[in-house]
Amino acid sequence: MFFALTDEQQAFASTVTEFLAERFDLEAVRGVVEDPAGDGHPLTLWKGLADQGALAVLVPEEHDGLGLGLVDAQVVARALGAGVAPGPWLATVLAAEAVRIAGSAEQQSRWLPALAAGETVGTVALRGEGGAWDGSGITVDATSAEGESTSRLNGSASPVDYPAVAGLIVVAATDASGTPGLYLVEAGASGLTVRDQHTYDGTARVGAVEFADTPAEALPNGDAAAVRALLARGAVLNAADLVGVAREALTRTVAYDRDRNQFGVPVGSFQALKHALADLHVAVTMAEHAVLFAAHALDTDDPGVEIAVAVAGSKASDAAWNATGAMIQFFGGIGFTWEHEAHFFYKRARRRAPLFGSAAEHREALAALTM
Amino acid sequence: MDLTYTAEEEQFRQELRTWLAENIPTEWTVPGYWATLSDEESFEKRREWEARKTAAGFSGIQWPVEYGGRGGTPGMKAIYDEETVRAHAPQTVNVLGLTFLAPTIMAIGTEEQKAEIIGPMLRNEVIWCQGFSEPGAGSDLAAVATRGVLDGDEYVVNGQKIWTTNAMHGDKIFTIVRTEAGSEKHKGLSMLLIDMNQPGVEARPLKQMSGASEFGEVFLTDARVPAKDCLGEIGQGWRTAMLLLSFERGASGVGQYTEFRRQYDEIVAEAKRFGRADDPVARQELARCLVELECLRYHAMHILTQVEQGKDLGSESSMTKLQWSEAFQDLWEAFEHVLGPEATLSAPRPDVDLSPFHAQDHWSRSVTIWGGSSQVQRNIVAERVLGLPR
Ligand SMILES: Cc1cc2nc3c(=O)[nH]c(=O)nc-3n(C[C@H](O)[C@H](O)[C@H](O)COP(=O)(O)OP(=O)(O)OC[C@H]3O[C@@H](n4cnc5c(N)ncnc54)[C@H](O)[C@@H]3O)c2cc1C
Repeated sequence: MFFALTDEQQAFASTVTEFLAERFDLEAVRGVVEDPAGDGHPLTLWKGLADQGALAVLVPEEHDGLGLGLVDAQVVARALGAGVAPGPWLATVLAAEAVRIAGSAEQQSRWLPALAAGETVGTVALRGEGGAWDGSGITVDATSAEGESTSRLNGSASPVDYPAVAGLIVVAATDASGTPGLYLVEAGASGLTVRDQHTYDGTARVGAVEFADTPAEALPNGDAAAVRALLARGAVLNAADLVGVAREALTRTVAYDRDRNQFGVPVGSFQALKHALADLHVAVTMAEHAVLFAAHALDTDDPGVEIAVAVAGSKASDAAWNATGAMIQFFGGIGFTWEHEAHFFYKRARRRAPLFGSAAEHREALAALTM
Repeated sequence: MDLTYTAEEEQFRQELRTWLAENIPTEWTVPGYWATLSDEESFEKRREWEARKTAAGFSGIQWPVEYGGRGGTPGMKAIYDEETVRAHAPQTVNVLGLTFLAPTIMAIGTEEQKAEIIGPMLRNEVIWCQGFSEPGAGSDLAAVATRGVLDGDEYVVNGQKIWTTNAMHGDKIFTIVRTEAGSEKHKGLSMLLIDMNQPGVEARPLKQMSGASEFGEVFLTDARVPAKDCLGEIGQGWRTAMLLLSFERGASGVGQYTEFRRQYDEIVAEAKRFGRADDPVARQELARCLVELECLRYHAMHILTQVEQGKDLGSESSMTKLQWSEAFQDLWEAFEHVLGPEATLSAPRPDVDLSPFHAQDHWSRSVTIWGGSSQVQRNIVAERVLGLPR
């Protein structure tokens, strides 16, 4: 029995964490937050992540990747969440996963090395406004004329991470028979419109992507199962980011409440705070376990993988939601200011919580699986 | 990550499974079977069965062979917990002795204590009670007032213990007694091992909210105990007690998960039977319980890993206690919420008997009290894990 990270995985986590602390700390994050018109994609950060292999984790070695699994990838996601780091890491990793899972050998050779090196930014467009995150919420249609290898996409997807800087968009679309599939659209394609959506989470940039007879290349193995596999990976890596946010929010809150004095004693000595923080510590720890297990379940095709993903998705978003709300409360007035960093964590948690399925949607999935 | 057991451990699983299949009567697997028996009948049946299990080599899984144990690995103990629940094996009757006293004796007991206490306990010839709590000393265990006065080579003990599990079945009781007159708090305490079959010891049953009487009161009136029947040194009772309580910190979560997950499935089956399984609110509530139970399972694997690596779990066990006890209690709250008024009836339909459910439901109120209440556990997590000031 070994339910833990290996020494190598822990070292990988430290490398990313230390890099962020030294090269992209909260001041740098603030720079991105306070520049809403900017692309939210600082190149120093991106290059640094690429240098550490953070973009290459899941890419097979034959395509210049590290050939590792989701247990390793969640290490990076957690570190990025803890550092509230901006940038299209998750979007690019998922685009590469789509090509790895469902692409032809040719598509893989063309895209994977570039995505792994960070030369191309990727993103995924897997559902439309108001839709569910299970493949049923797709609002893009794909048609292909007889004998043509290129398909045409019509419709829209939203919210999509970092569409404005993406060179490659992986789009989930349904064909004439209603079957979902995955398609590649390149930046600058005809009929492709990217509309900025301005989220309150300044550590991200999101937009809607709209397609009008946009040429696209189908991923040959991009069937309904591939769409679900991609959504499951998104759910687990997003949950990992949320767990990183939650742990860091809790750690910062505890540190503050140990030092902040009122009534002549540290506020952290009051039992009302202690019990709330203790419960959060348990919840965040359980969410960490759940993300680790779900990542391993995906890596090993565990028969209980669907339950594992839904548990991780719901537990992580609840933990992050609660820990970041508590952060503002237990910092008091300072936690409510723009100057303070609490709102970075709070807003990131709330933007990410509903992505790839909200806590309630994951719970409904669990009910469907067990009832 | 590697969530498998070794080949040797899986071999053990097969042997245990085979033995359990041959030694658990089918009627025991009917949900609620044990609730149909009187306390007395249930206790005696379990006592006898467990003694046979010991004779077959399936007790003291992780204990050294020299003490009658199997000399197994922590993984085997986890497998044992899981398989016995799966097979509907009854719960042990000697839980306090096996969980707490035996490992403490192995750690700090005299050779005589090791030889005299452990074997008879494993064979259920001697049932052990834990006499810590008193009317004035619950969470604040160091407030015990029971006194012991040396008279020759014996202590004479006076006082009252309460909430004593198995009080009416007990043969011996390990107690915390103030052996130093005028001492306060953690000082001057000793852990005396008192024979309950003597005129100075009177046990009276207490009826619990469920109607059962699993615990009781123990009155000590000039009870006598040889001074050599002290575990650890005289006056060091607090230290002994802390060591003893630390043995609750094991990897028992695997078995608990198996048990609670089965209860979840049973509750879901009732929800379906009563047409409540399509209600979106009910589905959310049950799924929320499932999330916590699955987390308990992952946590159990994490703890098992720590144990196998020889790490000290320390205050982390408070987190384990909070997770399992709160998740278990929430599950039974969900039962009440989801079934609504029918949940309160023992026989809502001619073919349905919910009384075993009620037994669990009511029991679930106790688990956040004993073994360190949830409030006490949160204090420990806040102060010793998070480092918040006292
Ligand atoms: C089913 C059952 C079996 C038991 N079996 C045994 C047994 O075999 N042997 C034995 O010795 N004892 C046994 N106990 C007793 C158990 O250990 C005590 O009930 C427990 O320690 C709590 O003590 P108390 O009942 O005096 O409650 P109190 O300590 O009086 O607690 C009352 C309330 O105050 C809260 N509280 C107390 N201190 C604090 C604090 N510092 N901060 C915040 N809140 C606090 C508690 O959480 C609780 O909610 C058993 C109890 C039960 C329910």
